[in-house]
Amino acid sequence: MAKDRATPGSQTSLREANRARIVSAVQQRGSITQVELSGVTGLSPATISNIVKELALAGVLRTTPTSRSGRRALQVTLARTVGLVAGVHFADRSLRVALADVSHHVVAEQRLPLPREHRADDGLDRAALMIEEMVDALDSTLAEVLAVGVGLPAPVDVRTGQVSAVGLMRGWDGVVVPEVLGRRLGLPVHTDNDANLGTLAEARLGAARGARNAVYVRVAHGVGAGLLLDGRVFHGRSGAAGELGHVPVVDDGLECRCGGRGCLETVVGAPALLARLRPTHGHLTLRDVVTRALDGDEACREVVTDAGTHLGVAIAAVCAIVDPELVVVGGELAHAGALLLRPLDVALAARVMTSTAGPVAVTASALGDQAEVRGALALALDAYQVGSAMPVGVVRS
Amino acid sequence: MNPHVPSPRPTGPAPRTAPVSARPPAVLSLRGVSQSFGAVRALVDVDLDVHAREVVAVVGDNGAGKSTLVGVMSGVTVPDSGEVMLEGVPVQLGSPAVARQLGIATVFQDLALCADLDVVENLFLGHEVRRGPVLDEIAMEREAWRLLAQLAARVPSVRVPVATLSGGQRQAVAIARALLGEPRVVILDEPTAALGVTQTAEVLNLVERLRDRGHGVVLVSHNMADVQAVADRVVVLRRGRLNGDFDADTARYEDIIAAITGASPALSGGSRAAQPRHPRGETS
Repeated sequence: MAKDRATPGSQTSLREANRARIVSAVQQRGSITQVELSGVTGLSPATISNIVKELALAGVLRTTPTSRSGRRALQVTLARTVGLVAGVHFADRSLRVALADVSHHVVAEQRLPLPREHRADDGLDRAALMIEEMVDALDSTLAEVLAVGVGLPAPVDVRTGQVSAVGLMRGWDGVVVPEVLGRRLGLPVHTDNDANLGTLAEARLGAARGARNAVYVRVAHGVGAGLLLDGRVFHGRSGAAGELGHVPVVDDGLECRCGGRGCLETVVGAPALLARLRPTHGHLTLRDVVTRALDGDEACREVVTDAGTHLGVAIAAVCAIVDPELVVVGGELAHAGALLLRPLDVALAARVMTSTAGPVAVTASALGDQAEVRGALALALDAYQVGSAMPVGVVRS
Repeated sequence: MNPHVPSPRPTGPAPRTAPVSARPPAVLSLRGVSQSFGAVRALVDVDLDVHAREVVAVVGDNGAGKSTLVGVMSGVTVPDSGEVMLEGVPVQLGSPAVARQLGIATVFQDLALCADLDVVENLFLGHEVRRGPVLDEIAMEREAWRLLAQLAARVPSVRVPVATLSGGQRQAVAIARALLGEPRVVILDEPTAALGVTQTAEVLNLVERLRDRGHGVVLVSHNMADVQAVADRVVVLRRGRLNGDFDADTARYEDIIAAITGASPALSGGSRAAQPRHPRGETS
């Protein structure tokens, strides 16, 4: 029925548009109750109820009884039969691959530690193998995979999928990931910067749910940030928006891998933190620093709190420009919790203009280490228009 | 057989090289270990230190002496000369049982699991938990789950025969068994050989978890990507001699390969292997 074009403004076209709006709302959030659906789409509960019932009968949506705040409610998800999506997150020292069904339910996940300065060809080959093996382990085939989303720790031009930064990831400059991985797997592949994907995931499923404007800061081996502006992830000219780690903070400071000097990353990036501890603690990993800081090791605590302060100062500048509702902090160092967040919050609060809207909220990532890979799954789901495979018209924006 | 059990911390003389940092002495040290098989000198004057919470990777070509080194550390081979020390105290590793008792657990490449027995039976084979005359299956099962949970290993059930598990899961069972006596050092011999990439991922996660739990880990491997992903230190063996001791954070892949192949003598601080120069191409 979606095939025959309805006259604009007619009852039919309105209903069609409402259906598409509901499907895309369910798709974006994975699973949502009917009541929340009405809040998100702005449609009346009666309309929602009717359309959901219809779509459930058509095998597009699935409803399960649940309860919200003690009241009975209906949980709405996409029907499982539609297919799988794969999410891939390359970090500086690890590769994470997850498979999810179209309702954002993660059905398989695996993390592979990677060597320092891992190479693009080898890394993408391993990612492809992991996807194949994991799909196989689910008794499924690659044909059932709808799309693949990939997050990289460097700026990515989202129009072409090309790594647009030069020198940030040795051996990855100019690599067009969708082309290489797409050829290898025979699937549509979409790429974005990992901090941007973390932002997307936190906005859809995590700590920034419901926010229109937010900043997500990823503090791991390197430092990156994603900007949620007016409900959308902001990419800039070539995907390098939010490269917080490469904002100069020290005049004539240490040389940075980006070619600059005194970047934030040379102060709070993992190599900088580990170098500070090397004389007293010898060889450590970032994981060790967090664990020891939490265990009460004074030097490690100091390194983490100092990093928090430096980050707070840098984030204050971001807040002055984008005026976000909240700042979400993720990445490996965020496991230190209040040790990192409190000094960050203090430094930030002292530098942000006083506003009638109150101070900027600072919170830890709700999705933790999974944020970026969940964002990659969301990217894949967004790119694959679930509506197009089903008897539902897609709203053309 | 009465193994010389070391005191938990050497109280008498300080460790021979007083470290500049406040680092505790190595859990396991080899000093000047040599071993010959007939005319073949498998190990020549090898020094090695393994600290708690450290992954030391041992790499080298075929026949470089890796297996012999594993043999010495696991008590299978008693070296011709040299010393093995646990927390600074010299010990005699007369047999694998003694080594285990002293806190050195080894997971051999063949894993030594019984394919027809289930996970619990494999874990406790030879040292079953008994309550009176009968086996305490419940206690063993609980302990099996506890060990596997510590490793965050994904095993569907502890009551399925090991034969039905994947390569990565079998490796997890073998490592869990090694953890039974709370060893201080765990030696893994080629744990990722013949595994797919997903299972390799599983094993490398296990290695990280062993390290984070405070064990010293010796990882013997051929795969440089795996080694560089999880190791803190990379030790290179070549023709039975130590030919390099690298900090995994700073060493370049090319340097390690050069040390393995002998393209150039790449010695860094800490190793005292006197390696005569072997010009490229000169092979026996």
